[in-house]
Amino acid sequence: MLDSGTATIGLNHYLVLSAVVFTIGMLGVLLRRNVLVMLMGIELMLNAVNLTFIAFSHFTSNINGQIMVFFVMTIAAAEAGVGLALAVAIFKKFKEVNIQFFERLKG
Amino acid sequence: MMHSSGMFYLLSTFIVVFSLAVIMLSNPIFSALFLALSMISMAFVFFVLDAHFIAGVQLMVYAGAVMVLFVMVLMLFDLGKETEVFSKGKFTGLLKIACAGWLCGLIGGAVYMSTEMIDVEAQVTDSVSFTTKALATELFTNYVFAFEALGVLLLLVAIGVVAVSRMKGGTHAR
Repeated sequence: MLDSGTATIGLNHYLVLSAVVFTIGMLGVLLRRNVLVMLMGIELMLNAVNLTFIAFSHFTSNINGQIMVFFVMTIAAAEAGVGLALAVAIFKKFKEVNIQFFERLKG
Repeated sequence: MMHSSGMFYLLSTFIVVFSLAVIMLSNPIFSALFLALSMISMAFVFFVLDAHFIAGVQLMVYAGAVMVLFVMVLMLFDLGKETEVFSKGKFTGLLKIACAGWLCGLIGGAVYMSTEMIDVEAQVTDSVSFTTKALATELFTNYVFAFEALGVLLLLVAIGVVAVSRMKGGTHAR
């Protein structure tokens, strides 16, 4: 199916692309130390999940997947806002956005 | 038909290369740039999959608003040269990469093995169910409570973000 070589692109192609993008985002969260790049990795993971929703929605003729993607996008924007506000708060104190300073959070 | 394999492979190559550039480059500004390019490529994929409204929202919210937020915070920080880009420890780094590859392989294998379980129609014949009007009807009838709750949540998040970023002395306020 995956290496058929014909001109048809099925559901599996989109799901595998989504898995690859999710893995790249996960590696970004695991390997990087900059908080902003970690947030970007989270955005990549959310985008991969959105791609899965849209692909299933298209290939099963069900519009509910698109509604879910709409909600996920809104929550992702809110999450980016909160994460960046925390990064600003950390930067004010330590002049650095390295993830190691988050372990000194208290109070 | 827009479902040609060349289109898909071109877009997926763009997405994968841009995503890899996001996590590999050491300058966060370049990461933000490639994240925006990746989001735009993803919006094109959504467009190909007949989700026109979602593609527009992706362009506006992700490639527009969220990226402006990221770039503005990056400018605010004025970060110098980054000394430690990746986390320490060769062994743990390799372990993380191996685990991520394993997860990717597991998902791919699951997708490959569950091909006949998913009842996939060969081609969407009626484009009625994929118009923006149908999406709006669904959103404002069956999902109207979730939509309103989302509005309340966004208001709360806006207030919380302003409160957190205006705190004196960061998180160690006395």
